[in-house]
Amino acid sequence: MLFGSHQRTPIRSADKEVASWTYTTCGYCSTGCAIEVGKNAQGQVVASRGVGGADVNRGKLCLKGMFEHELFEAPGRGSEPLLRRHRGEAFAPVTWDAALDHMAAEIRRIQGQYGRDAFAVVSTGQILTEEFYTLGKLTRGLIGTNNYDGNTTLCMASAVSGYKRSFGADGPPGCYEDFEHTHCLIAWGSNLPEQHPIIYWRLKEALEKRKFPLIVVDPRVTMFAQFADLHLPIRPGTDVVLQNALMHVILAEGLEDAAYIAANTTGIEALRAEVANWDPTTAAAVCGIDEDRIRTVARLYAKAPAAMHIWTMGINQSTHGSDGVVGMNNLALLTGNVGKPGGTALSITGQCNAMGTREWSSCSGLPGYRALENPEHRAEVGQFWNVDPEFFPKRRGLFQTDIFPAIETGQIKGLWLVATNPITSMPNTARIRKSLEQLEFLVVQDAYADMESNQYAHLYLPAAVWAEKEGTFTNTERRVNLVRQVTRPRAACKADLDIFNELAKRFDPEGRVRFPERPAEVFEEMKQLARGRPCDLSGMDHELIERQRGIQWPFTREQRARGEIPPAGGVRLYTAPRSFHHPEGRARLIPLPFVDNNEQPDAQYPFWLNSGRLVEHFHTRTRTGKVGNNNKYSPIPFVEINPDAAAELGIRHQEYVRCVSRRGDAVAMAMLTQRVPRDMVFIPFHFFDCVNRLTLGLLDPHSRQPAFKQAAVRLERVADQRAAARLCIEARQY
Amino acid sequence: MNRIECHPEIFPLRADEPGYAKLWDRETQAASRYGTPIDLTPEAGDSLGASLRINGNPEVGANPHRYKQHGFYFNADNCIGCHACEAACSEKNDNPAHIAFRSVGYVEGGTYPDYQRINISMACNHCEDPVCLKGCPTRAYTKYAEYGAVLQDPDICFGCGYCTWVCPYNAPQLDPVKGQVTKCNLCVDRLEAGLKPACVSACLGNALDFGVIENIPENRIEAKTEIPGFPDPSISRPNIRFQQRRSTHREMTRPDGLPVKYHRDDASGSFRPEVDAAKGGSERRSNWKKLLGSHERAHVMFTLATQTVLGTFLLALVGSLAGGALAPLAAAPVELPLLGAAMALLVFGLFKLNMHLGKPHRFYRGFNNLRWSPVSREIAGVAGFSGLLFGYGALSPFAHPLLVGVQQLLGIGAASSGLAGLYFMYRIYRIPARPFWNHWQTAAAFGGNALSLGALLAGLVALPILAAAGVPAGRLGAALATAVVLGQGLEIVGHCAHARAMTAGEGSVSWFLQTTRHYWPWVIRNGLLGVNLILGLGLLAATSAGLDGWVLTSGWLLLGLGVIAAAVIGRSLFFVVVIPTTMPGAFFWKNQDFVEHARQTGLADLEQVGVVREHHGEFKWDELIAALRAVKAPDLRAHFREILVWKPLPGRGRNPESR
Repeated sequence: MLFGSHQRTPIRSADKEVASWTYTTCGYCSTGCAIEVGKNAQGQVVASRGVGGADVNRGKLCLKGMFEHELFEAPGRGSEPLLRRHRGEAFAPVTWDAALDHMAAEIRRIQGQYGRDAFAVVSTGQILTEEFYTLGKLTRGLIGTNNYDGNTTLCMASAVSGYKRSFGADGPPGCYEDFEHTHCLIAWGSNLPEQHPIIYWRLKEALEKRKFPLIVVDPRVTMFAQFADLHLPIRPGTDVVLQNALMHVILAEGLEDAAYIAANTTGIEALRAEVANWDPTTAAAVCGIDEDRIRTVARLYAKAPAAMHIWTMGINQSTHGSDGVVGMNNLALLTGNVGKPGGTALSITGQCNAMGTREWSSCSGLPGYRALENPEHRAEVGQFWNVDPEFFPKRRGLFQTDIFPAIETGQIKGLWLVATNPITSMPNTARIRKSLEQLEFLVVQDAYADMESNQYAHLYLPAAVWAEKEGTFTNTERRVNLVRQVTRPRAACKADLDIFNELAKRFDPEGRVRFPERPAEVFEEMKQLARGRPCDLSGMDHELIERQRGIQWPFTREQRARGEIPPAGGVRLYTAPRSFHHPEGRARLIPLPFVDNNEQPDAQYPFWLNSGRLVEHFHTRTRTGKVGNNNKYSPIPFVEINPDAAAELGIRHQEYVRCVSRRGDAVAMAMLTQRVPRDMVFIPFHFFDCVNRLTLGLLDPHSRQPAFKQAAVRLERVADQRAAARLCIEARQY
Repeated sequence: MNRIECHPEIFPLRADEPGYAKLWDRETQAASRYGTPIDLTPEAGDSLGASLRINGNPEVGANPHRYKQHGFYFNADNCIGCHACEAACSEKNDNPAHIAFRSVGYVEGGTYPDYQRINISMACNHCEDPVCLKGCPTRAYTKYAEYGAVLQDPDICFGCGYCTWVCPYNAPQLDPVKGQVTKCNLCVDRLEAGLKPACVSACLGNALDFGVIENIPENRIEAKTEIPGFPDPSISRPNIRFQQRRSTHREMTRPDGLPVKYHRDDASGSFRPEVDAAKGGSERRSNWKKLLGSHERAHVMFTLATQTVLGTFLLALVGSLAGGALAPLAAAPVELPLLGAAMALLVFGLFKLNMHLGKPHRFYRGFNNLRWSPVSREIAGVAGFSGLLFGYGALSPFAHPLLVGVQQLLGIGAASSGLAGLYFMYRIYRIPARPFWNHWQTAAAFGGNALSLGALLAGLVALPILAAAGVPAGRLGAALATAVVLGQGLEIVGHCAHARAMTAGEGSVSWFLQTTRHYWPWVIRNGLLGVNLILGLGLLAATSAGLDGWVLTSGWLLLGLGVIAAAVIGRSLFFVVVIPTTMPGAFFWKNQDFVEHARQTGLADLEQVGVVREHHGEFKWDELIAALRAVKAPDLRAHFREILVWKPLPGRGRNPESR
């Protein structure tokens, strides 16, 4: 066609020529969206779309899910095991057999030389439940170290701890369907539209059908805060004070559900005594929310026929994270808002399978929410696995956040990282860097060879990613959903399950302990251990899960036998009176004295440092940093600064600025915005060598979760912008 | 609400296709608020009921509203800025990171915690008056009777990027890598199947919707034509409607690098752009590198070169036809070298312009849209001028009266064509979406430069030759100095009026950039214009007084330098500080300052940053030859008829001026 069309020419539209769609579940956050991944006739993975009939996401996906099919061939994937004697050497490729023989030998050497607990395992919330269960069996049953934890300590440990303290067991009691029934929703430290956009959409759908008050507690004016009917811009780290004041008003004005309290709880008197100290006037001076507004919220919440809390890292990542969770549980128990439609305290979890690791990984105990401290549990699991119960420790070992200090001080000499990147994700980077440098043996098992912690590894094991494998995830509303294998593992990558099984052979050559090969077989084994446990999934199997687009636990063998069809959604816990897991089935009301131990802004470091997530990125960007259509929205780190504060310091929009704390410094691009108050800056947590060079990460006494969001920094204008740009860009290999 | 159900094979529907993805219109209005009929059936002509042949598929969509103008609906109160719409669009259209048919930017206002951010998701608005279609010189755009979709065919496009200048919404995307424009296609394949576009179906804030224009979706009550940050809808009558009920702050700022903010006009309730002096500072700087190294320098060279050559030629032609002081320009020994220099400069200018195209080997398509496009008309004018000028030059050695007569006719033709070309060159820049250009100063500068640079070229060639030949050239020198003075004077007058006009909107922001980030070049340009005027007057006086020798020579040389410097700086400022009335960007994405930063620092070399470097189009001889071989005489005839006969073509959808 020479001169362009002079007739109706066909319209061209991109056609990916998808020949088949495979059902799977998104591998990013805990929302648990069902995805179909499309392959063309040549078997290339070319497209992703939401599953229309799945109750969670009803056909929708966020921008990460929409490009998830690009993960398989993303740059930086590992292709073969790599080994070196020390960090000064270049990695050399080795066979899987050689790699795993070496790994087993090193673990034995370290355990022989320094004791069994001198080798630590830190896993993740990213792999499949069947893999968690197998890793737990390997670690607890064969390797036998008690220093075994997951990176969920960085995100959900406070929720776990709070649920256990209040209700006697972990497990979010609510579900997304609660949005359809609630009459008041308080979101604590949750930027739902940015962190869990699909859950936000479910909430928005409910709000469009029936308006109810939305209250957002967040020191930053997020989009969510903007959309709230009431935004409470709280002073960082004082949520418990606000909660105590709300309880004070509820009890002082007799708005509590006395019958529910009497029937279902213990500890009301001690709680009443503690909250008596926190009248709204006293609390307002501490938490920065005026007393009238405290009373308004308390009345709104208590008088609502059904009211719920949701929360995320604003609560969990603080020195009173566990207390903050207990505070919400207290409020829910006081008003009878547990286990009823629209009345709940629903933690919005972080990683795709944070729940799976909580239930089945044995990190904090033994599978199926069993405790090491419980001799019956040890005996039961030991017998089932064919492991001497005496081989199990009598109490849980170190949390992830205590494992690194133990490496620093020399008690731990070897470490196995599974799908986690602590050099970027842990607070106080300098300290983590030093710890990793001290290790005699570090194994990194990850889908990405360019993941930054791998710089310190002696052995790198290339893992398969997401839907190169098969198995289940459990989401925020306790929904077990299925990841089907879409494509074979890239190059010589192996499914994490296969890696664990292969390593198990090195520790148990005679096959004393059974390690099933196929994920579905592992699931069948888990079902036996699930019987009678809170997370009972014994009525499920992989096929039924796919057919139902995910099933919420509990779904028992008995229900299955009765011919029950698992409902699409809406399954809640603690619906029956006195069905909690503490003695007599009663939940505990726990008083929460407030101790403010956070680093506070002062003359030298005058700004609060806040950190958080962006919608386009996931965790340490090992995945989203390589997908152009995600990464382009924030390819380098920025720091939100209030324009008035910036004007005083001579800092301009889009200039690089140096942030300095008592731990170190970080360079980021200044974004001047009134989203943050004059005495606060916000930096996204995704970027290597950035915000966590500054964070202090004081630990919560119960959950050992770090306080990422409360530290003090100062800002410095950078004269040499070109040098600053170089520093920033050199840290961005992806 | 009723859902439209239809199941053709164009876009496969899933068994579990959610209801929100389906189109919902029942009743439709008769006309849009601008008075345009919504029913486009009469515009369909012979194509009524015919297949769109999407990817060659012969099926016809069963959508009952197929021949109605559709449009997007955006509830600005609900947008969370999650990028799902953009991602769904890029996933469907298989776009690389640096291309986006839809983008989300935002404006923000207020003081913590009374802070407000309004996100704006924007793609093509498939306008009633598609300025892109009218501007495109290659006729790559068509407004279809089906859905009122404005579709662009990248196979026709030659990558000039003019549509990206005229569009107020940044909808057409010029891909520097592929050297072509692509844009939103309204997901016509999904519409044929009764589904909303991919972006709308993906929306997570319940902000974006879609339907027959003027229809308001369920649970929404407004259908406004403006929100803060959205350009004046009178430019193109865009097919988008808004809801924005929440009160806004009086002033909303942009997160990108442009020093634009929006201020509420209480009388009209709408927001008007103005200077945000706080952003980037107002220190006086030069930024020579950015000024002279911009990608638009091809336009600087082309416009200055053609204007110079036209001016020189006009002076020579006046000398030829009217004699008098300018007569030596049209006679030996000056004429041939002068025409030679002019033609060389013209070739240089045309070469620079053509190689600026994304697909320079498709240059011949530039005439396709004589019907609408000032670019086509400019190209035709300048091409005619060039051809006739070469003819004129070729005949200049011959003294036969007949040939002289022919030469003079060619000359008059060249002049007319050249002046038409110059006029349309000026019309090209009268773009409502680029207020800094949209002023008669552009004409004053183009005309003034033709005069002063034309006279300068004539003087620099003619005066030394005449001096060497010992021919007195006092009267010529005086005439040329007069032309320079007039040209510079015209430019000064234009700039004064322009300065007075650029007090509001994006024009004032361009003015702010000119007088801060490029302050010293601006001052130097102004100073030079004044100095050149005085120097020209001095030369005029000196020449009239009969002065001669090195003083006069130095004076001419100085004036030459001054005029050229003023022209280059002035024209570069013209291109570099212009600000479109386009949508606000975000902090990184759609932020021109970050794009420049990424290119300077090397971040652009990481593919996933979504920034690519500027490329120069490759002249592909093989493609040109293949195209020439494929063409058949009847096609060619039909094509010329299409270009020259100005009537709507059957079955090509609505002719934008047929209303």
